[in-house]
This record gives sequence, structure tokens and C-alpha cells, in this order.
Amino acid sequence: MASAESVTADDLSADERDALEALLLRLADDEFVLAERYTEWQVRSPTLESDLALSNNAQDELGHARLWYDVLEDLGYEEHELIYEREADAWRHSTLVERPFPGGDWADAIVRHYLYDVAEKRRLEALEDSAYPKLADRVGKIQAEERYHLEHAQNWMERLADDDADDGGRERLQQAVDRLFPYALTLFAPVDDETEATIEEAGFRDATLEELATDWASEVVPFLEGLGLDVPIGEDDVLDLDPDVPRGRDGDHTDAWADLREEFTSTYRELGRSGATKIMEKPE
Amino acid sequence: MNRNTPSDVDVDADAALEADPPTEGVDGTDDDFEAGAQYDPDLDAENEATPCSYTDYRSGETVEDLPATGEGATGVEAAVWDALYGVEDPEMPVSIVDLGLIYGLVVEDGHATVDMTLTYSGCPARDMLQDEIRETVADVDGVESVDLRLVWSPGWTIEMVTEQGRSDLREFGLSV
Repeated sequence: MASAESVTADDLSADERDALEALLLRLADDEFVLAERYTEWQVRSPTLESDLALSNNAQDELGHARLWYDVLEDLGYEEHELIYEREADAWRHSTLVERPFPGGDWADAIVRHYLYDVAEKRRLEALEDSAYPKLADRVGKIQAEERYHLEHAQNWMERLADDDADDGGRERLQQAVDRLFPYALTLFAPVDDETEATIEEAGFRDATLEELATDWASEVVPFLEGLGLDVPIGEDDVLDLDPDVPRGRDGDHTDAWADLREEFTSTYRELGRSGATKIMEKPE
Repeated sequence: MNRNTPSDVDVDADAALEADPPTEGVDGTDDDFEAGAQYDPDLDAENEATPCSYTDYRSGETVEDLPATGEGATGVEAAVWDALYGVEDPEMPVSIVDLGLIYGLVVEDGHATVDMTLTYSGCPARDMLQDEIRETVADVDGVESVDLRLVWSPGWTIEMVTEQGRSDLREFGLSV
């Protein structure tokens, strides 16, 4: 509870504040941008149930993004600045979540959903005992909601890979895995080495990115292979990033990101807004 | 977002509220089948009748001392609790106190501090509900300023709903 919080942003050194900011932006931006992409499936998903489920996931991710943007307010930011006024290259999400869906490919949405949610699970576990109490306090709430996401993704992965269906589902999954896996590895890319070291030394996160990546791969790879899919993974180091894949974490994004950001900020800019929208004004 | 989910209880919580659905008529006896139909238990086991793959609804653990209900409060604090009981969830006729959203209240020298949570991280009624609570508390005689703090730990579960809250939700048509 808030009353039990001891460490606040004021207690941190400048380096620690920067590290906390980098950690939070990564968490918040991943969730926000993934939600933006999920909403593209609204009224377009293959079935009514899948439409509702993915829309609900999108709403969950927006809620989680907000929990993290809330903590960023401790560091002097306001939500509307972070979402609507931040330059494209100041966003820190992994490029996995910004990729467009090729030609309404549901398998792409499901593979992305699965790869992301396993990573999210590991990442949250590493924050459970964070030395920054506001981080640790929010983790349980998010985990409770994320559990359903992972179950949903696995369920769909299994259905699409079903041999009996004989409808090309597995081929589509394979194509999506081949396409998305190099981007998924950017989930574990560092902002920069110094920042990551500070995140660990300050106890904000109790695992290194390499450990998270290894844990992630040890769950994801056998699962995908168990579905009869080939995983495009290097022999030695799972963190071997393709040099041609922008990492996102360092502000380098794919072209799709500029378009997506343009779209979700357009109304804000057209209306000349300078604050977040409220549903209703307070009555006189 | 254009969604028809209740503003303050998410789909997961709804699922929890609807745990233990009535099972009349699907108890696996022959009575459940049309006359003349052959009941083949093997076939039935193979095609398990689970229209929804979700049958495991988590109802959460009881947390000691939560929710706060104002029991034993006196003076201005008691008056603030009375006012809080008058604030309802935006979509269900249940007080926010009975829903278990209030985690703590302290009034000192006219300054009220309220700790509250929301059932769901993506609650779209967040700002509206917070504004309403701030205004309600500020209107109480003896309160000059209000600090409303949103907390997320421990996370809200169905176990936080009081007996009165359960009764109100049942009246509304939810099985809790």
C-alpha cells in the first residue's frame, strides 16, 4: 500500500533516476504500442469471441501502460506529454510490438501475442521484489491480468497448429515465427550497457536482460518446436540480434512506427490539444 | 474504447462473479438426452462439452484488514465513511466501500487521506470515480482538503466484497 512506500524518486541519484526512467518507458511503451496494434483487430477478428478477447487484451495493456506512465509522473512527466507529445525516436518499445499485421494475418497476431506474453511474464517476475516500491506494488495486479493473456495465446497457437485441421494454419504460424522472431529478440535489447547496469545495481530489477532472454527462450523454443515449428535461433547466443533489425530500445524504430504514431496522435494535433482528454467536464 | 464491458469490473472479475454456474440438467445421466439417443460415455469424454475453455475461475485470497469499512470510526472520519458508502460503482448498484475499493481513510486536522484501488487496471471510469470520491469527501463538514491515493497492492479480488456488497450484487443478478 502507498502508506508503506519508503523509497521515492527524491531518494534516487541522477543516474538511478535515469535508469528508472529507462526501465519504466520500456515497460509502458511496449504495452501501449502493443495495445494500439491489437485494436486494429477490433471488429475484424476471425470470430466474435476472438474479437472480444483481443479487444479485452488491448484494454488490459492500456491499463498496464497507464500504471507505468503513472510512475513516470514521479519523475516529472505527464501522461499526455509521454503519449501524445513525445517524438517518435524517444519511444523505447521493442520493434516487435510496432510491426504492422501483413494482410490481416491472424497467425501473426497470435505469434506476436505469444512471444510477447512469455517475455512479459518473465519480466514481471524480475520486478516482484524491486527496490522501487511503486514498481513492486503494481506487478501483482498486472500479473493477475496477464495470466489470461498467455493462456489465450497458447490456446490459439495450439489450435492453429492442429494437424487435423489441415487448413494451412501451421504454415502461417511458421511464416509468422520466421518473420517476428528476430524482432522478438529486441525485447531483451539493452537501452545501453551503463543504464542496464544501474538498473541492476539499484535493485530495480533482479535479473539481467541476458537471464530474461535465456529464460524466455527456454520456454518459447520447446513450445514452438512441440507444435512442429522451426525456430530461427542461433546455436550459441539467443541474444544474437540481426544487425538489420532496429532495436527500438535505443530509439531506432521501423518505418511502421512513424505511421502508427502519426495515426494515434493525429486527432490530438488536429484539435490543438495540450492535455489528456476527459470524458466529461465537471458539472457547474 | 468502444466496449460494453462494465466500467468498473473487468471481464476476469465478471468471470469470477459467475463462478460455479448452475449445472442442472448436465449431470451426465441419461435423463439429459433425448429419448432414443444412445449415450456413449467414451464419446462424451472425448468431446468434452466445454463451450468455454475457462472453467477455472480464481476468486483470490482473503487479505486481513481489507477492505477497510470504517467500522469503529468516530467523529469526522465516521462522517466521511458515511459519505463514501453513498458513492456507488458507476455500473452496478453497490457502494464502493462494499465493493471493497477503499483500503484506508485517515482524517487529520481537516486533511483527509483516502487509499483506494480499482477492480481493474484498465478501468475506464477511473478519473470519473476518483473525481466523485474527492468531491464527496471534500463536502463532508470538517474536511478541508483531500488526498486520494490510488494503490494496487494488494490487488483487488472478489474476496474484498463485503457481505452487504455480495447481497447487493446478488440482488443485481450476479452470482457471488
